[in-house]
Amino acid sequence: MNLKELTIKQAHELLEKREVTSSELTRAHFDEIKKNDGDIHAFLSLAEEEAIESAKKVDARISKGEPIEMLAGIPVAIKDNILIRDIKATAASKILENYTAPYDATVIKKLKEEEAVFVGKTNMDEFAMGSSTENSAFGPTKNPAALDRVPGGSSGGSAAAVKAGFSVYALGSDTGGSIRQPAGFCGVVGFKPSYGAVSRHGLMAMASSLDQIGPITKCVDDAATVFEIIRGVDTLDSTSADREWQSYSDKPVDIEEIKFGVPREYFTHGLDPEIEKNIKSVISKLEKEGAQIEEISLPYSEWALAAYYIIMPAEVSANLARFDGIKYGRSKINKNEKLQNLLNIYLESRGEGFGAEARRRIMLGTYVLSAGYYDAYYAKAQKVRRLIKQDFTHAFKEVDAIITPTSPTTAFKFGEKTHDPLSMYLADIYTVSINLAGVPAISIPIKEVNGLPAGLQIIGNNFEDIKLLKIAKIVEDMSK
Amino acid sequence: MLTKKEVEKIAELARLKLEEKEKEKFAEDLSLIIGYIQKLSEVNVEKVEPMTGGTDLESVTRQDDETKVISDPEMRKQILDAAPNREEDYFKVPSILE
Repeated sequence: MNLKELTIKQAHELLEKREVTSSELTRAHFDEIKKNDGDIHAFLSLAEEEAIESAKKVDARISKGEPIEMLAGIPVAIKDNILIRDIKATAASKILENYTAPYDATVIKKLKEEEAVFVGKTNMDEFAMGSSTENSAFGPTKNPAALDRVPGGSSGGSAAAVKAGFSVYALGSDTGGSIRQPAGFCGVVGFKPSYGAVSRHGLMAMASSLDQIGPITKCVDDAATVFEIIRGVDTLDSTSADREWQSYSDKPVDIEEIKFGVPREYFTHGLDPEIEKNIKSVISKLEKEGAQIEEISLPYSEWALAAYYIIMPAEVSANLARFDGIKYGRSKINKNEKLQNLLNIYLESRGEGFGAEARRRIMLGTYVLSAGYYDAYYAKAQKVRRLIKQDFTHAFKEVDAIITPTSPTTAFKFGEKTHDPLSMYLADIYTVSINLAGVPAISIPIKEVNGLPAGLQIIGNNFEDIKLLKIAKIVEDMSK
Repeated sequence: MLTKKEVEKIAELARLKLEEKEKEKFAEDLSLIIGYIQKLSEVNVEKVEPMTGGTDLESVTRQDDETKVISDPEMRKQILDAAPNREEDYFKVPSILE
């Protein structure tokens, strides 16, 4: 039995049957981290003592014969932009290098109620801005599937941690593909729930109308397990939705009742022909098993990335205004200098604290929101966003789920796209529309291409997250 | 192409201090990206309502609840302790009025 390969479900069963203790499980994952994270660098900080302590508590309950929660005693890694009280939260930025979280994010509160074991905080692109983790102020993460390549981003550390067996599952955040793209690059499952399904209280805001927290796991069942625990309305996130949710364990969907849409706009220029071939082969297998397949059109896809690169930086420039060198974080304030100028404190603290990509996006956002440009860029992008959402609304009148590639390529090499920001942005071409529309989507691993993992994305209708997960389970079985 | 002067103006609005050599790089990068996003001019958005957020929820409110979060004295202390310069329970900044 290899403890680092266990899924949540398997680990839970072994704990219940007392075939393994949470302490053993936790130590096995830390052993793996000590052996390999020097190379991979999935973590920015570890919480070994606290983790062992939590594990022992769960073990004590098990030995008393108490029933345990689904996630109890199981090691999880958390992206560093999600707050865990009393643990450092840097979001991979120098400006928060010494910042300790004073409270728990709502998702963390929920995991603590489950008695989850927190292994540590994972590396990412600074403030979740990037597609490779190369924008981390503390050095990039390597892809465990190919060490000369990026793990994707921005949740690259979380995806790498799951792939490398450093944790059984992880949490990431997804603003334009930041859970799905690294999951695809690393060969694991990444799920971005519907906008509003999971509370973002305690997630450092990047682009508030797009951000969503979700799980990175080894299989679809695990993604559903975590989702059903972290979802739900929260008075501390006014965008979280209050609704009745279906249960994943209710009756499964019948493949013959599923109609898949395949949007032609996602299978054009720029897509690696080998990835296309592997996706088409999954699609024909689904068709052979009785699913209906229909070619569809999402006509405004072509403008999604442009709309995204207006709306996202605009929101970034507003959200990152809070890092001012006054309230917390890196500061150039000088207590003894009476004549220090407030403006200079802002300029210097922020100029020094933010990395190149964060600054680029703050500048871009400031530009598109500035007088004279607002209507031409920001207001226009919001209208195009409406059209993109309508594309999906129309499509889901006809089909149950949409199948696309997660990314146009497999994991690229370090430095390949850092010189040209636009080429890096294009890595998100198939994922950003989903955030603009607010719908849920999941990336699952399919057959590798030249030894590198590749991802297939399934998109569901708004708040039909459970139906999407059930469908994803079927596709997962077909892709094996 | 953005000029160096325009970059300086944006950086000032954004409260970011840039090094001299960065200004040219930013002018180049931002011009490239702005060139790309101008693609939106191809789309006819006549009579389209802007989508102003990620949700259709309206006016979500809640009762103030003083038992929540900030009344936790330990948390309150931690939040205040994170400030680089403070006096009692206030963040301290240089005076901005003569």
